[in-house]
Amino acid sequence: MNALLSEAQRDALQELMNISMGQAANALARLIETRITLSIPRIVAATPSEFAALLSQHEENWFTRQSFMGKVNGEALTQLTKEGCEALAVAMDYDVPLSDASRKELVLELANILAGACLTGFSEQLDLATKLSMPTLYVPTVNSGEQVVEYFRWTSTLLLEVEFSVDASLFDSKVIICLEQRSVQTLLASINELLE
Amino acid sequence: MAIPVTIADDSALSRKMIRRALPAHWDAEISEATNGREAILAVEAGKADVLFLDLQMPEMDGYQVLQTLKDHHEKTVVIVISADIQPEAVALVNSLGAFRFLKKPLVASELQQTLTEVGLL
Repeated sequence: MNALLSEAQRDALQELMNISMGQAANALARLIETRITLSIPRIVAATPSEFAALLSQHEENWFTRQSFMGKVNGEALTQLTKEGCEALAVAMDYDVPLSDASRKELVLELANILAGACLTGFSEQLDLATKLSMPTLYVPTVNSGEQVVEYFRWTSTLLLEVEFSVDASLFDSKVIICLEQRSVQTLLASINELLE
Repeated sequence: MAIPVTIADDSALSRKMIRRALPAHWDAEISEATNGREAILAVEAGKADVLFLDLQMPEMDGYQVLQTLKDHHEKTVVIVISADIQPEAVALVNSLGAFRFLKKPLVASELQQTLTEVGLL
């Protein structure tokens, strides 16, 4: 399933993300005063075709993208279900239906919290300091056959999938971390040190 | 005599981190469990006077382990070490009789202070 990572490396990365996501959920839970159920993160190395398939789900989801630079470089894409965003907006006392401006604000805020948590996992626990830029909304470009035609330069894509659920309404989110080849080596070296 | 201690966590990394955080001179006989069911078996086998317990685990989670220990009036000292640090999780764990709630990433000095408070160091 996963040629990029050994089982020990995958376990380590998953646990680091789990800890970071726990911190993000706690911040969010205090904000909306509701308990947030968090799934154990799923970590896979995505192939370009799997990555394109993921982006093709843009009817049901919002996507954001933001770059990060430092000891590891790359880009974080966050996918949030449209339905879940509305449910969360209610919990956060937004007026619904959301105006375009409020929706954008909410989506970017949530994406920043989630992607920020993933990067914090790298920075604080692996000593790989990175700076994350602000997110922007992103709509994948599709051709007449509804195929995603976006060209991505990322060859190594780590897909970190986390589900948040708020109250009874399922709020699904995924954070996708795309790393430069050299950064993948840096990341694995740090994980190996931790595993020694 | 060595104190029987069990570390229950499904992540190999976390089990390793807990081992590393323990004081080097502590005379403990350490066993490991990778899910709640194994943790209960360790308690029943007398391998866990002290149980370091994760909450999110397959088969049987940490809350179920705490409930089972409470129902059976087990004397095990449970120290929860969790990535879920939301107020409700802390409150629930305390109500189920855990001795202490420690947040991940685990800080060695906090763990050692906790062990001192239980009178184990």
